[in-house]
Amino acid sequence: MVERPLVSVVDDDESVRESLPDLLRELGYSVRAFSSAEAFLESDCLGETRCLILDIAMPGMTGPDLQHELAVRGQEIPIIFITALADETVCTRVLEQGAVQCLLKPFSETALFEALNAAFRVT
Amino acid sequence: MIRKARAAWRGNSGAAHAGRFTLDRQLRATTSVMPDIAEIGAKVGALIRQERPLPVVLSSLCQFFDATLEGCFSSVLLLECAGARVRNAIGCGLPAGYMKQLEGRAVKWIETPFGARTNKTPAIVLEPLSNTLQKSQEVAPGATPCLKLHELSPILSLTGEPLGIFAVYRRDPSAEVAHFYSALIPRFTHVAAAAIERLRSDETLRRSSALLQRTQRLSSTCCFSWQVETDEISCSKELCELFELGAAEVPATLEPIGARIHPEDLPSFHEMIERARRGMNDFEFECRLHVPANSSKYLRVVAQQTARQQGQLEYIVVVQDVTQRRRTEEALAKLRAELARTARVTSLGVLTAAIAHEVNQPLAGIVTNASTCRRMLAIDPPDLEGARETARRTIRDAERASEVVKRLRALFYKKGAVSELLDLNEAAREVLALSRSELERNKVIVRTDLGGELPPVLGDRVQLQQVILNLFLNASDAMSGVDDRPRQLVIRTERDEADRVRLSVRDTGVGFEPQEVDRLFDEFYTTKSDGMGIGLSVSRSIVECHKGRLWATPNDGPGATFSFSIPCGRSAAAVRSLGAFRTSVAGAVDHHVGSRRQ
Repeated sequence: MVERPLVSVVDDDESVRESLPDLLRELGYSVRAFSSAEAFLESDCLGETRCLILDIAMPGMTGPDLQHELAVRGQEIPIIFITALADETVCTRVLEQGAVQCLLKPFSETALFEALNAAFRVT
Repeated sequence: MIRKARAAWRGNSGAAHAGRFTLDRQLRATTSVMPDIAEIGAKVGALIRQERPLPVVLSSLCQFFDATLEGCFSSVLLLECAGARVRNAIGCGLPAGYMKQLEGRAVKWIETPFGARTNKTPAIVLEPLSNTLQKSQEVAPGATPCLKLHELSPILSLTGEPLGIFAVYRRDPSAEVAHFYSALIPRFTHVAAAAIERLRSDETLRRSSALLQRTQRLSSTCCFSWQVETDEISCSKELCELFELGAAEVPATLEPIGARIHPEDLPSFHEMIERARRGMNDFEFECRLHVPANSSKYLRVVAQQTARQQGQLEYIVVVQDVTQRRRTEEALAKLRAELARTARVTSLGVLTAAIAHEVNQPLAGIVTNASTCRRMLAIDPPDLEGARETARRTIRDAERASEVVKRLRALFYKKGAVSELLDLNEAAREVLALSRSELERNKVIVRTDLGGELPPVLGDRVQLQQVILNLFLNASDAMSGVDDRPRQLVIRTERDEADRVRLSVRDTGVGFEPQEVDRLFDEFYTTKSDGMGIGLSVSRSIVECHKGRLWATPNDGPGATFSFSIPCGRSAAAVRSLGAFRTSVAGAVDHHVGSRRQ
C-alpha cells in the first residue's frame, strides 16, 4: 500500500477538526488534527507533515504566528490557511509570507481540492 | 478780545443777513401794520418742505419777528426733551457769544397763574441768567444801547409739552411797543411750535426709516404689506434686492415675486397663498428662489395678519434671506450624515464580521460534512455508517448556526417596551426634526398636515417613532431617483371613524405594483439595492403590538402612501403589555430562519 501523505489540520473549532479530516481521508490523505498551534508544534509530526491546513484566528498562537515560527525553524511545510473572517489584509500578508492559499469558510470541496493540488505541486 | 467779540457779532449778523428774504424788507416797511401771520406761516412751511434744518427755519422765523417790530430782537431757545434745560439758542439779531452762554442753562417752570400769559401757560424763569444783556460790554462801551430781556413765552406742543422758549429782547424797554405786539407773540410761538414738532417728527421718521433700512440690511431681511383682495403689495427697494428684481421693477403685486420662486417650491407657495386668502391667521414657510445669477437662494417668510377692516385682509410679510444659514446647515447636515453613515457602516461592519465568524464556522462544518457524506455514499460499497455520522454532524452544525442567530436576536431586542400616553403629532414632529436634514439632503419637500385635537394614544414612544422614521426614510428613498416631479412627502395625522388615530406618509416616489403589496411587509423583502428588508416587517410587528394596523396603498398619481392606525388612549386599555412585542418579533424571525432551513 502506497503511503498516504500526511496533512495536518490546526483549528480551534471542533466541527472543523471533526469534518475536515474525514473529507481529507476520503480524498486519500492521512490526517492529524490539532486544536492549537502549540499542540502541533509539540507533536512529533512536524517533519512528516506534507501540508498544513491552518486556521488564522485562534486563541494563543495564531495561524500567522505559527507560519512565522515554522519559517524561523526552517520547516518548509506548504500551508493552506482557512478563516471564517474575510480579512483581506491578513490573507494578503500570509500569502506574501509563502502560504499556498487562503480559503474562506465555508469553502467548497473543489476549492480545497485545488489548494491541496497546489500545495503538493510546491513540494 | 473785544475785536474778537466784535467779529463774532458781525459774523453773526452777516450770517443772518445771508438768510434774509425779500418779505423781510416788506415787513420792515410796514412795521406799524399787523403782519399777515398766515403768510409767514406759509413761508416757514415752504422752508420745512424744502427740508431745511430746524435752526435755519427758526432763525428765519425770528427774522420775520424782528423785522416786524422795530427795536425788538427775538430768539428761540430749544429745550431738551424734558424741557428742563436749554439745548440750543437760535436768533439772528442777538450776539452769538450771548446765545452760546444760554445753551445748557436750566429752565424753571413756575406754575402760577399770576406769572402766566394765559391761565394754562406756566411762567418761565431762566436761571441763573441775568435778564439784562449788556451789549455795550461785548461790543463798544457806550456806543450802542443795551438790549434788555423783555419777555419769555413758552413754546408748547399740541399736548402741552414744553418744546422751547420764545424770548424777546428790546433795545429800549421804555419805548412803546406796537399795538399788535401782544397778539403777535402767541401766533409766533404757535408757528414755532408747529415747525419744531413737524421737523422733529420728520426727523424721527427719517431716523426710524433709516434704522429700519439698516436693520433690514444687517439681518438680510425685508418686509412688505400685502392687500389680499387686490393682491397689491407695498414694499421697500430692499425687496427688489432680495428677490433680485432690479430697481426698475419694484413689484406692485405678488406676481413678480411668485415668478422668482423655485419651480419645486411653487406648489407649496401657491398653497400658502390660497390658505392666506381664506383668512388663515399668521403663517410662515421657507422656500427657495430661482434667481438668474447664482444658484438657489433660501428665504424664510413670516406673515402676520393685520387689521381686517371692512373685509380688507392684509398681511405684513417679513422675508429673510437665510441662504448662508441654510448652506451652513446643509454642510453640517452632510457632515453629520457622512459621520452617521460611517458610524453605521463601521458598526455594521463590526457586526457583520462578528456574525460572519460565528455563522461561517458551523457552515464550514456543514459544507465539509456534506461533501464527505456524498463521497462516502459514492464509493462502492457505500460507507453508510460514515455517511450517517457526517449527516448527523451536518445537522448538529446547522443547529449551532441557528443558535447563533437566536443569540443575535436576543442582543437586538433586549430592551423592553414602555407604555405611556403620547401625542402622535408630537412624536411625528420630533422624528421630522431628527430626519429633516436627511430629507432635505435628498431634496424632499415635507408638508405636514397634523390633525388638531388628536386624542393621545397608548404606546411605546421610541418604537412608534422608529416606525415613523422608517416610513419617512422609505418615502425619501422611494423618491431618490425622481427628477421629473417634486419629491414631496406629506405626513398627515387624523382621527378615524373607529376611534383610532391614523398617521399616513405619502410620497411621490416610484410606488409599487399592486401584486407586490402582500410581500412588502415580508422580512428581507426589499426593492432597494442597499436595503435589508427589515424595516417594514419590524414596523408592522411594532404597530400590531399596539393593536394597530400598518398598510400600504398606491397613490392615484405617482408614489405610495403608507399608513398605520392605532387605538386612542382611552380605548387602548386593551394594549396589555408591549413586552409581547419581543415574543412576536422573535417569532417572526424564528419562522423565517425555519423556512430558510427547510
